[in-house]
Amino acid sequence: MNRRLPLALAAVTFAALFATQSGVGFVRDEGYYFEAAKSYEQWVALLLRAPAAALRDTGRYWSVNFEHPGLAKLLFALSHLVFTTWLGWLPDALAWRLPAFAFGALLTYWLAVLGAQRSRAAAVLAPALFWCAERTFFHGHLACFDVPICALTAGVGVAWARAIGILQTPTSNPTSNPTWTSSRHGLFLGFLFGCALGVKHNAWLLPPVLLVHALLLPAPLRRRALRTLPWLLLGPVVLLAGWPLLWHEPLRHLSEWISFHTHHVHYAWYYLGRELRGPPFPIFYPLVLLALVLPLPQVALFAAAGAKLLWDFAHRALSPVRLLELGLAGAALLPFMLRTTPIFGGIKHWLAFLALLAPEAAHLLERSAELAQRAGLPRSRGLLVAAAAALLPGLWQIAHVHPYGTSAYGELAFGIPGAASLGMQRQYWSNNVTAVLPWLNAHAPKGARVFFHEVNVESYRAYQQAGLLRADIQYASGPWDAQYAALQWHREFRDREPETWNAFGTRTPATGLYLDETPQVVVYARPGLPGAP
Amino acid sequence: MEGPSAPARRRSDRAWSAPLLAIAAVGASALLFDLTLPLRLPGNGDWAEAAAALRVRAGPADAVQLWPPWAERARLFVRSLPVRTEEDLRAADYPGVERLWLLALPRVPLAHLARARAALRERGATPGDEVHFGALSLQPWELHGPRVLSFLTSPLEEHEVDYVPRQCTLLRIGRPADPGRLQARGEGGILHVRAGIVGERAYQGFRGPVRVDVQVDGAPLATLTVPPTAPPEPGWRRLDAAAPAGEHAFTFLVSARDLDRPFCLSAWTAAP
Repeated sequence: MNRRLPLALAAVTFAALFATQSGVGFVRDEGYYFEAAKSYEQWVALLLRAPAAALRDTGRYWSVNFEHPGLAKLLFALSHLVFTTWLGWLPDALAWRLPAFAFGALLTYWLAVLGAQRSRAAAVLAPALFWCAERTFFHGHLACFDVPICALTAGVGVAWARAIGILQTPTSNPTSNPTWTSSRHGLFLGFLFGCALGVKHNAWLLPPVLLVHALLLPAPLRRRALRTLPWLLLGPVVLLAGWPLLWHEPLRHLSEWISFHTHHVHYAWYYLGRELRGPPFPIFYPLVLLALVLPLPQVALFAAAGAKLLWDFAHRALSPVRLLELGLAGAALLPFMLRTTPIFGGIKHWLAFLALLAPEAAHLLERSAELAQRAGLPRSRGLLVAAAAALLPGLWQIAHVHPYGTSAYGELAFGIPGAASLGMQRQYWSNNVTAVLPWLNAHAPKGARVFFHEVNVESYRAYQQAGLLRADIQYASGPWDAQYAALQWHREFRDREPETWNAFGTRTPATGLYLDETPQVVVYARPGLPGAP
Repeated sequence: MEGPSAPARRRSDRAWSAPLLAIAAVGASALLFDLTLPLRLPGNGDWAEAAAALRVRAGPADAVQLWPPWAERARLFVRSLPVRTEEDLRAADYPGVERLWLLALPRVPLAHLARARAALRERGATPGDEVHFGALSLQPWELHGPRVLSFLTSPLEEHEVDYVPRQCTLLRIGRPADPGRLQARGEGGILHVRAGIVGERAYQGFRGPVRVDVQVDGAPLATLTVPPTAPPEPGWRRLDAAAPAGEHAFTFLVSARDLDRPFCLSAWTAAP
């Protein structure tokens, strides 16, 4: 297989994410990661200036956001150091987000590689099916870990498949030394697995999946796969190398990391008319949510892909690569069907489920065009019809809803208004506030105090740093303390709006963000202030 | 020349295009829904016209009920009368409201406007003529509710209980020996007390109940217990009790073991 097509598609992904990032607000978690990246950048600067001091003081700089491994945030920091601090080419937030776009591009690359095992058309359609939905497209923009871990899950899958010889290497040379080639693949697998561990803890699920995959392979392949598994031991070494927090008192820091996630709080989450606050959660929650948020064609195709993989698995008709895709997709989803795993955050935690089904979904789409050939329809025309039918609703969703990705709902939910009537989470992470920042900049008097509700102080500072919010506007801790309030509509925060009415003496909003009539962000101003109704 | 099996073969050949047709149908129907959704939604002009109609036609004892209750963009436009977003129109209290204007988005997906109307009918309300403003419908409903004799709490203050803004007064919860206290004078009749815990703390199941003791002229009349909310049980609890006719001093004593919860109470008397 030629590498050029996956590379070209990856470049298109990077460019698309780069071109559409400006309106994407800083989600709550990004605020924390930006702060962490700032701290890590200071450490890198110290490392270049005084290496001994940097090695001694890792705890001081790396304790910020100790609950997630350091690699992704280190990349955010390095990108900022190079493109903003040194070169001055990019604004702060864009520099922090740049590595996220690169992970998005890598995801496209690896999906195209997996798709290309079926056909050239599948190589194009697999990443397209994944990205042509506002939820996935939105997550591709964020300096967070969800798309990076999704990409690395696919990447580890591809590296594993190459290492055990079930996936052809684009540059494989029959004359090259097989031992060296095998070691090179093993090293790369271990390195990528380490990177995945360094991005998010979901990666710890990968070795069991690969072990089961190895055990299910035919005998000769199984032996090779079992011999390849030990390369995964490189992973923890890469994790350690990429996370300087572990360089001193590693056991304490590892224990704090694990403890944070084993005792993670459950946030209230609105789902089919009820607030989920704690276990047991509905077993099919992740699948129902996917069905409601994705465009209908993707829902149908991903469901068909999952069913086809399961059917072929049951009938022992799965190729080793498809078996691997099924295993990785299942491992990404199943933890969220345990009924005890925290389920807030929409679909972001199990994006790899979609990604690993995408090549099969693309193949089914292409197959429909091939079958139609027998009915006399030229293959190219059939492919065009299939691609248009599968992708246009998603493109429309992006055009219609972006950059308010956490609010997007698909046709099965009857769109955003239907989801509101069904009682689904309206939004999360507070990034939709970008819609009302221009209004606040235009109306709020100098030094005005604004209650930003769910926007944390880190994101507020990032908006000011990015020039999206006037520097003189102050952060108020509640409506009683504020002249303006920008309330994000959440079912669990309904008390904030009457609280604002009582404090401000008005029930009439000054402005707001309403998506298909549903309130998302509602702005109130104290009577008599500029912009007040 | 075609043999007799040729049409069957053609049909069989056409069947191969079924998967593609199915995908095309799914895509086309999805796109059709997406592109026509804006046609089902009101524009600024529709809202402004409805608000103007309410300004002209609504009286001092009127209120607007939005349907679906999430359609709160109405608040940008409707300023001449109180806006309510009750979710259960059959059980909702509308104290002091004689006529309720149901302002609805009938064409929005899953609006279930018929259910809202049925709920109003079930409580004995009778509809007037419905008018349309683009994608909005506006219909007056006479509630035929009992006449309010006295508001014992302010109808102007609002707090959320059960995710719905309620006209109620925030009260301090005290220990049983030193309960929070609200006193008001009003006409006797049927006393209606509604109370609940505000915000997410209502759902903390490990906490104890809040007790509201009602006294009339210092004598115990009734007790309302407000336990932690465990859906589907409501958190907005109700007490209806007969109070002697004539003007009286009503006292509401609020106590619990856990004090750090915002607690809201609404009380009024109405004609029997």
